[in-house]
Amino acid sequence: MIFTEILDKLKAKHEVLESKEDLGVLNAWVSAKKIKEVIGFLKNDMQFGQLSFVTAVDLMAANNIEMVYRLFSYETKSDVVIKVKLDRAKPEIETITSIFSTADWHERETSEMFGVKFLNHPDPNRLLLPDGIDMPLRKDFKCADMTPLPKV
Amino acid sequence: MNGVDEELIKKIPGLPIVMTTAEWAINAGRSNSIWTLTFGLRCCAMEMMATGAPKYDWARFGLEVPSASPRRADMMIVAGTVTKKMEPVIIRLYEQMAEPKYVIAMGACAISGGPFIYDSYSVIKGADKIIPVDIYIPGCPPRPEALLDGIIKLQKKIMKQKFRTVKEHK
Repeated sequence: MIFTEILDKLKAKHEVLESKEDLGVLNAWVSAKKIKEVIGFLKNDMQFGQLSFVTAVDLMAANNIEMVYRLFSYETKSDVVIKVKLDRAKPEIETITSIFSTADWHERETSEMFGVKFLNHPDPNRLLLPDGIDMPLRKDFKCADMTPLPKV
Repeated sequence: MNGVDEELIKKIPGLPIVMTTAEWAINAGRSNSIWTLTFGLRCCAMEMMATGAPKYDWARFGLEVPSASPRRADMMIVAGTVTKKMEPVIIRLYEQMAEPKYVIAMGACAISGGPFIYDSYSVIKGADKIIPVDIYIPGCPPRPEALLDGIIKLQKKIMKQKFRTVKEHK
């Protein structure tokens, strides 16, 4: 499936706030409340059977945390990227663990790295980081023993 | 003989007697049977394995057994990046090793943090921040020859230590 085809099918069922093509892959922004319906629709009705990853991007200038969900379909050999913009001060989104179980660890990692809170997550604990390090992948992260890269 | 005056040997002719000091004998025993704790943290562990494999073969220098338990090990090779999450594990393993014990910091990461020295939230900048280190081997990663060179230097260091004042880590 080419990206316009995916976009048309997606737009027919759900509201797409914004979309673009990036290296031949459709990037579609949806609202945070609709994320479960959109992911469920892609899995059940459009054969996107694999969740490649869940992660986030810290857009500090725009005061946003952007969630990134990438899905792949073995049937049609196509990818799709679903993005959600969240408020940086209080990022909260519904978990998609009930649709893709693999999202469990991805969401836990995103949670500790970016401070995103996943609502109704079955196991909302830390995954990898030891205690005392919070949200290290945010752009304004500071810690006492971190040496900044010298500007040359 | 090593550690014994030539003149002393000449005074006892004829008999098949080997004379040396207890210090030399004990140090020779220690330096020629160093058991290593198998403890690879990152890519340096690959070079450490290569050093143990037949092509380089550290058994030639008496490192016969890579010991899986810290209680049987004499030397710990910190081969790789020391992260904050690994810190309590390294300290526990080090404390479980029996005296006398030695540490080799292998590679740039174990010496200073290496490529992770700037802008890193998770890396401890050098194994010597948490445990005492005897030998530093630079390289990223060091070649097996460099590790063997470091091991030979550690053996020389062991040979020089005084029997009554062997260091005890507290």
